[in-house]
Amino acid sequence: MTNPKATIRRALHCILLLAAVFAFLGAGDPAARFGEIGHRMMCICSCKEILLECNHVGCPDSDGMRNELMAAVSRGDSDSLVEQSFVQKYGPTVLAAPTTTGFNRTAWIMPFAALILGFGLVVRVVRSWKNRPAPALADGLRPIRGAELAQFRDQARKETEL
Amino acid sequence: MNFAICAAATVAALVYVFYLPGKLFLGPKNTRASYLRERKEAVYENLRDLNFEYKAGKLPEADYQSLKSSLQDEAATILAEIARLESAAPAQSRRAKV
Amino acid sequence: MAQIGSFALLLALALGVYSFLAGLVALIGQDQGYERLGETARRAGIVTFAAVLLAAVVLVAAAFHDDFSIAYIFHHSNRDLSAPYKFAVLWSGQEGSLLFWSLLLAAYGFVLRLRNKTDPRLFAYASVVLAGVQVFFLLLVNFAANPFGLLQGSIPADGSGLNPLLQYPEMVIHPPMLYLGYVGFTVPFAFALGALIMKYPGEKWIHITRRWTMVTWGFLTCGIFLGAHWAYSVLGWGGYWGWDPVENASLMPWLTGTAFLHSVMMQEKRGMLKVWNMWLVFATFWLAILGTFLTRSGIISSVHAFAQSSIGGWFAWFLGISFAVFLFFFLKNKSHLRGEHKLESLISRESSFLFNNLLFVLLCFTVLWGTWFPKISELVQGNQVTVGGPFYNRVAIPVALLLLLLTALGPLLAWRKTSFESLKRNFFWPAVGAVAVAIFLVITPQSWGSVFGLKPWKDISYFYSLMAVGLCTLVTFTVASEFYRGGRVIAKHTGQGMFASMVQLTHRNTRRYGGYIVHFGVVVVIIGFAGAAFNQDKEQEMGYGDKMTIGSYTLICRSYTDEENPNYSSQWAILDVYKGGKQIDTLTPERRFYHASQQTSTMPYIRSTLNEDLYLVYEGLNQDNGHPILKAHLNPLVMWIWMGVWIILAGTILALVPNAPAPVRVAAPKLVETAAPVGAGD
Repeated sequence: MTNPKATIRRALHCILLLAAVFAFLGAGDPAARFGEIGHRMMCICSCKEILLECNHVGCPDSDGMRNELMAAVSRGDSDSLVEQSFVQKYGPTVLAAPTTTGFNRTAWIMPFAALILGFGLVVRVVRSWKNRPAPALADGLRPIRGAELAQFRDQARKETEL
Repeated sequence: MNFAICAAATVAALVYVFYLPGKLFLGPKNTRASYLRERKEAVYENLRDLNFEYKAGKLPEADYQSLKSSLQDEAATILAEIARLESAAPAQSRRAKV
Repeated sequence: MAQIGSFALLLALALGVYSFLAGLVALIGQDQGYERLGETARRAGIVTFAAVLLAAVVLVAAAFHDDFSIAYIFHHSNRDLSAPYKFAVLWSGQEGSLLFWSLLLAAYGFVLRLRNKTDPRLFAYASVVLAGVQVFFLLLVNFAANPFGLLQGSIPADGSGLNPLLQYPEMVIHPPMLYLGYVGFTVPFAFALGALIMKYPGEKWIHITRRWTMVTWGFLTCGIFLGAHWAYSVLGWGGYWGWDPVENASLMPWLTGTAFLHSVMMQEKRGMLKVWNMWLVFATFWLAILGTFLTRSGIISSVHAFAQSSIGGWFAWFLGISFAVFLFFFLKNKSHLRGEHKLESLISRESSFLFNNLLFVLLCFTVLWGTWFPKISELVQGNQVTVGGPFYNRVAIPVALLLLLLTALGPLLAWRKTSFESLKRNFFWPAVGAVAVAIFLVITPQSWGSVFGLKPWKDISYFYSLMAVGLCTLVTFTVASEFYRGGRVIAKHTGQGMFASMVQLTHRNTRRYGGYIVHFGVVVVIIGFAGAAFNQDKEQEMGYGDKMTIGSYTLICRSYTDEENPNYSSQWAILDVYKGGKQIDTLTPERRFYHASQQTSTMPYIRSTLNEDLYLVYEGLNQDNGHPILKAHLNPLVMWIWMGVWIILAGTILALVPNAPAPVRVAAPKLVETAAPVGAGD
């Protein structure tokens, strides 16, 4: 049998490696960038749709916003620059997800903090159950021994055989 | 018309709620024995499940033996307690015993 | 007519209050022979249902009679509205919805009170809790949101009509399903609180509520997916889930409810997690009410908030009071909820359930957090932010994938402890199969279809999709192996064929094997979700004969037409669809203008196949040049979602079927009852 700890460690290494690989990936061409950034923003016309998914014709805002985004992307502005200029123009609600700066960071941290906390809690609970002194018997049951135990165990066995 | 409908509905409701002829069904009382029988059934179910999973080839022999043994101990304790309660019960009710 | 309705609501309130108070008194004085009082309380609860039903019937009848003297009917109906939607008027607006809530709650209460023979004492407690909730909703419909309020001034000739977005077949069944789910969680809660208050010995209350919980869960699942399907077919943005606050509100109780369905097995089989289950069932009930509160109060802005009003305060009070009551009894009687068993190992079914619950509750917390974060941000930093799809996708998908892994792993673990050898024995082949399928998906050419030729290093969403499909395969294999191994044992015993044996196996333990089928349905749904990574869309002006290409499809615009209906006028585009040079279909996306409400809506045309949906929206005319604009979406695998839901429902129904007796079963010995009834810890 392999050592479980070693297996877990190896799995963790793999996950870290994968995460690193993805962190360094980036999209290249303008059309893809347009699609990508456009899906990170909201249309501000109160339709509450993602910018590129706002579909009502005659929307007072989405066309202009899309053109602006297209222009910025073809100018070669960086993602953060595009986002900043949109935020300055339309306010922070234009971003479809909270930023990773300032107080907004808590939006991202909380779920993962809760995950880690919960994980720790579950492990603690399992540990404490493992270390429970004796298998606490159901309320007021007394342990039995010897012939009596053998007799009733036999009854239980017979009654549960398949 | 509206008034008649409302009045009829009210009267019907009141009659149904407050007219209680005959004896009420109160159901059996929860006793320690009935509680223990539930417990026994739960442990039995676990044992049957365990046997089944073993036969399905999901458990290695050693796991099966140790799990079975601890479940049977638990079942035996409950059976013993049930038997104690039975012997303490009035003799004339013995006929109900299997 | 309005008078009868109003009266019926008052009568229902009076009966509800009586049922609650008399039931309470009877329980407090149960040793002094208050049984007859308790019986009147039970009966009052039963008649409450009749009274609320009368009110609902009156409201629907008023809709059918176009009685616009009632303000609610005026605002939500019109003469030319077709019959099914007139029926749906009952839940299209706030007052009606609340009446509908009361009606469903009363209906659940009706069934519960009729079935009290199973355990009259426990049912009496549950009945009182239920009556308490019922009184709240009846107070609302009587004093805060009366659906029978009269219109001031002269009676108009026609109503202002039903919201066009709601005029779609699904809208006739989506709200009732969702509400049946929301309301239904009151029942397990009522039993749980009842059991806690009376210190109910044993876990039988869980047996009793098990079916209720599953039925409710089934309704909620159905309601959520019907809503998704409605959004997909009507809202016209090409998606089925937008992480809107109201969608989130329905997801939260579903998540905790699903957690409860799993953890309840710990309590039944092992007498563990009693405190946790108590909280879980309360949280589910509470979140269902919170969901209604969110939908109805407008505290968090949402496209769903069809009606916003002042009833928020009532809900806030109710949420607070119900929490206080629960907390009080929990603190008072928590010693009764002591766990009974010890755990042998970290690797066991028990701990897999714990992690399962952790992940479900975490997902619920994430959704709750995301829903409220804009409000929190406003309080802390003075400005709102948007928490939309990108946030949830990034946070929830990894957690959901972990959950999927547990779905595969959990059933393979034995209770109490599982050795590595056993894990290897059960897990090795499914894992090999899953990895093989994943490799196959990576190396196959893309031309085979949307999920083939999946290169996970190109985009994080491809990576997630590949993980999802791989894990789905793993779950499928483990589920299949459970059926196969079990079937083999029975086949050996009975000499039947394999298929007959598997049927018998399922029949013997419907909950377990029905549950596996639900898991399989979830797998199919998730494969459908994974397709979203490959969505494409294209928007184009399309004059006569113009051509658009998307994926392997070519669309050619044949013509435009319009049509008059009494209720709305519509414009259609007629497009021929070609694939591989051959015409395969003609599609007719539509745009409607509703006369009564003066609103426009789109009716996308969806050509659904197992591989992908071609989704066409007629967006209207370009304001500059008058040319029609069409938007086409290519959404892979969406049909799998709806198929998966059918499988989930089939599994749920199967799990509700009573078990066939095991072939060897010793008759339960009839025992004499000892005189003393047991209390807690007796």
